[in-house]
Amino acid sequence: MRRSLRSYLAGWNRPERAAYLFIAPALAILLLFTVVPLLATLAISTMNMDVFLQVKGFIGLDHFERLLGDDRLIDAIKHTLYFAGVEVPLQIILALLTAVYLSRNTRWRKLLRSVYFVPSICSFTAIGIVASFLLDPQTGVYPAYLVNLGLPRLEFFRDPAWAMPSVIALTVWRSFGYSMIILVAGIQSIPDSYYEAAQLDGAGKARQLFSITIPMLMPSLSFCVITTTIAAMQVFDQIFVTTQGGPLNKTETIVGYIYNTGFKMAPYDLGYASAISVMLFVFIMAITLVMNRYFLRREADMA
Amino acid sequence: MGRKWTWGQAIGCLLTALLLIAVLHPFLWLVVAAFKPENEFMKYPPTVFASSYGFDSFIRVWDTIPLVAFFRNTIIFSAGVMAISVLLDSMAGYAFARLRFKGNKTLFTLVLITMMVPFQVLMIPLFVEVFKLGMLDTYWGLIIPRAASAFGIYLMRSFFISLPKDLEESGRVDGFNEFQIYWRLMLPLCKPVMITLGIFHLMNNWNDLLYPLMLTSSTEMRTLSAGLAMFVGQRNIEYGPTLAASLLALLPLLIVYVFAQRFFVQGVATSGMKG
Repeated sequence: MRRSLRSYLAGWNRPERAAYLFIAPALAILLLFTVVPLLATLAISTMNMDVFLQVKGFIGLDHFERLLGDDRLIDAIKHTLYFAGVEVPLQIILALLTAVYLSRNTRWRKLLRSVYFVPSICSFTAIGIVASFLLDPQTGVYPAYLVNLGLPRLEFFRDPAWAMPSVIALTVWRSFGYSMIILVAGIQSIPDSYYEAAQLDGAGKARQLFSITIPMLMPSLSFCVITTTIAAMQVFDQIFVTTQGGPLNKTETIVGYIYNTGFKMAPYDLGYASAISVMLFVFIMAITLVMNRYFLRREADMA
Repeated sequence: MGRKWTWGQAIGCLLTALLLIAVLHPFLWLVVAAFKPENEFMKYPPTVFASSYGFDSFIRVWDTIPLVAFFRNTIIFSAGVMAISVLLDSMAGYAFARLRFKGNKTLFTLVLITMMVPFQVLMIPLFVEVFKLGMLDTYWGLIIPRAASAFGIYLMRSFFISLPKDLEESGRVDGFNEFQIYWRLMLPLCKPVMITLGIFHLMNNWNDLLYPLMLTSSTEMRTLSAGLAMFVGQRNIEYGPTLAASLLALLPLLIVYVFAQRFFVQGVATSGMKG
């Protein structure tokens, strides 16, 4: 008995079997809390389900039909695209400029890099609270600065036209350092010999930027563009803290609408919220695939 | 000082300095404002500096906001995820990198695919699942769904692959079993990458908003991000304590950042290398 137990355990000590013990816990977690929910999203989106998890039957594709005629959803999609369309280019351009300028390792440049990264480690809750104070029309100092400069007083988060630009500015402020760090790592991995050769050929700084740095940086740059776009399509935190989707729903995004539909507004329609999630997933996958193909082609062209 | 400045350098220097001010200004304002007395916030026109300063906000914040509970929950949640996830990720990464077994490539590809699924798509079924497991509004309910991460497995695997070949053989010669080889031989070599991954998890979970917001329902179980966001949403609390709470919520990560900056940067930089 004891011998068979020992030989049984010894069997698990063979690398090809022990491997399953090593991966089992992590894979179980991923299976249970990523794969199962992904499949379940598809299932729930075809059911009537409220936040008390009462399933009132299978309704097929009714939710998806409802998506098409939902004006509030269409607005949320427009707001999300507005956010992504402005925020992503701004963040990438600012990150690229600072990364190019700060990529050499001098003490001052290293210091600037570490400071620019600081907002990225702060929660959107805390910096959103700070931004709401700073931009408050009555008590905030930034509107007062504008007045001192002779510019019109802006209402920022309270003004339907300026709320989204304010959220965009806040997001760029917080996140450009994150992309910058990725791009600096990419720039630093470009061999110096490329630049030396370019200098021998008489190429100036600008020429070096467009002929060496940017083409060689394409993998990091495309990674930044794609991940920033994906994050922008899921924008929620900063809006939840600052404008809560207002004023006049002008900053309600897709994820905000999912949250409101499923968890905030009666009748807590989890089924319909899941259908919107499925739509968002398809959106994000499509954007990722298109961008990936575009960048791979660019990389191939440049090589 | 005898160096000549070109126009380009001067403009670059000026712009980066302006950006430095833009990045730092809100933080400096927060530090000053958290020490202002409450009536200073109502002044018109608003001013940055006050005529007197004090710890008033930091004293009253504990009565206005359940900050002790928020801190406790955030620490248990983010440190718990950090510890468990680094362990499970490193085990799986080790096996994928150094052990030959059937299905290695297929399973690893599946792991990489799960990395692409955004949380927002999963959140409703995840909420339902955690509820059905009876773990809604509990620490385990917050920690277990995050106890392993595809990115962590990917990061650990790429590190283990870079270790010298045949390292295992010396362990087998010494009579180690497979787990001892991983635990006693391999893990000590990957302390830096484990710290990098640990800090990556700590930062993401400490700051996360939507996830703890959904999986907790009572005020006593809220994390700092979720709890403070809910309090601000009510808009009827005092200014000083709100800012004091925000400053206190930011401080722990900022302190860790000052001492372990390179691990923060590495985590972010390596996440960009995977393309």
